[in-house]
Amino acid sequence: MALNHIKLIFLLSLCTLSIASYQFIFVNFDFFSFAMQLRLPKLLAMCVAAFCIGYSSLIFQTIINNTIVTPCLLGMNALYLLVHVSLVFIFGMGSFIVTNTYLAFICDLLVMTVVASFVYSYIFKKTKYNVLYVLLIGTVMTTMFTSIQNSLIRAMDPNDYDALLATLTASFSNINIKIISICFVLCLVLYFIFKKDIAKLDVMTLGRHNAINLGIDYDKTTKRLLICTTLYIAIATALVGPISFMGLITTNIARTLFKTYKHSILLSGSVLIAILVLITGQLIVEHIFTYSIPVSVFITIAGGLYFLYLVLKQSKGNI
Amino acid sequence: MILKNLSKSYDGKFVVTDVNLSLPENKVISFIGPNGAGKSTVLNMISRLHKKDSGQIIFKGKELENWDNNELAKNLAILTQHNNIQSKITIKELVSFGRFPYCQGRLKDEDEQKVIQALEYMELLDIQHKYLDELSGGQRQRALIAMTIAQDTDYILLDEPTNNLDIYHSSRLMKLIRSLCDKLNKTVIMVLHELNYASFYSDIICVFKQGRLEKVGNPTEIIQHDFLKEVYQVDFNISHIDGKPLCIHF
Repeated sequence: MALNHIKLIFLLSLCTLSIASYQFIFVNFDFFSFAMQLRLPKLLAMCVAAFCIGYSSLIFQTIINNTIVTPCLLGMNALYLLVHVSLVFIFGMGSFIVTNTYLAFICDLLVMTVVASFVYSYIFKKTKYNVLYVLLIGTVMTTMFTSIQNSLIRAMDPNDYDALLATLTASFSNINIKIISICFVLCLVLYFIFKKDIAKLDVMTLGRHNAINLGIDYDKTTKRLLICTTLYIAIATALVGPISFMGLITTNIARTLFKTYKHSILLSGSVLIAILVLITGQLIVEHIFTYSIPVSVFITIAGGLYFLYLVLKQSKGNI
Repeated sequence: MILKNLSKSYDGKFVVTDVNLSLPENKVISFIGPNGAGKSTVLNMISRLHKKDSGQIIFKGKELENWDNNELAKNLAILTQHNNIQSKITIKELVSFGRFPYCQGRLKDEDEQKVIQALEYMELLDIQHKYLDELSGGQRQRALIAMTIAQDTDYILLDEPTNNLDIYHSSRLMKLIRSLCDKLNKTVIMVLHELNYASFYSDIICVFKQGRLEKVGNPTEIIQHDFLKEVYQVDFNISHIDGKPLCIHF
């Protein structure tokens, strides 16, 4: 559809505008390169995180065939934090696995992938993709993962805890810049690894039966895409910390804006909206609220209300 | 298609027990039987939607599991009752998905033609650009059937195709199924609840009860008072129209 492409281009230009203004607004030209040095990694991190969240949430929704569930609502980022804390808990802060940022990150990703694909595919199978159950279990799991994480922290050596805190509380004002390059590369690699599976998403929107009927190996593809989602969420959480409802906002705005089933368009739309929301939000936070309120607070409040609206709207039909 | 000792159980309870069946080509075959008789489960196993526990399904001389998924999709199409499609998708786009096994989403002229043909068959041409969520249950069902037709397979499996359809559309559908078989040499296997549709439009009827295959035969052999009474536990009144048995059970 030509109309959708025009909308995409419009979104793209808005994104470019917000990126440019974030990067160059109020720059003191006497210290130009210094300002760039400060702002560029942050900008890059936000773009990578936005890509991860926008991309993976939409994939996840198609797998589970519902538009109000996102990986974050099912506790994926809580799981990531738990994995990270457990790693420190088991090996101690002095261990080379933890001190080497890259190694720690890779370990986190590996453990996360194994645990998440096991846990979530088990839950999906047991509940037969019943969204209400999945959502309920997800909420419980979020709490459970967070509680286990808290217990571990309490039982931890105070020195370890102190050091851990610095890496654990990634947020928009404290972006984990050390791993930005590896995250960027990983995103690209993942994109190409899972490209073939992503191409099957259009057919998978028709549901399990129709997808199998049309020759898709549904169960295998679902598993692969679940791993893909998990990795992207882990990357985003490692970079900027957990932002619940972000995925919900981007995917649903994308679906309302582009009335189509085509994932090539929906995915681009979702990613662009994520970038736009994050960067514009951060711009406002930095220059209007002068860092007094982090952008994730706005996103959570707006997203929470939006979530309620969507649930109430959908419950007229069936969830 | 040949089924040998086909069985399936859920939680230790057999829903399909030891089904042996040889289905000829170019026929309309109906599965009938009371609720929970296992007829849908058999259909789902034939179409690889459900895994079988034991037994063999031999399709075109090759065991079903050994088929390549995409190749199988060109030979066998299934339409079930579970269709919860949430995406914004128009009828034409849905029907175009029927061509996916052939073109992986990039439609050529030939595919386009088949899509139009299928839309025509199901009288959907005038509403082809409507979104699926704006349709009534019957229109949706017709759109899904059109997708199955566009898939252009030798075997078409339908799980209660007349569900949601009014009398006009269900009798039209049955006539269409007949012509798919007679003119285009397709094999249609379907689960039906209406005995008279089965009697009037199928060549072979397979009767299931409690997971077992009770009887296979042509309509005259199956639609018999004592046999049906035993299967359904309901009294039937059987008469004949145009040489075909008609049963009434009110």
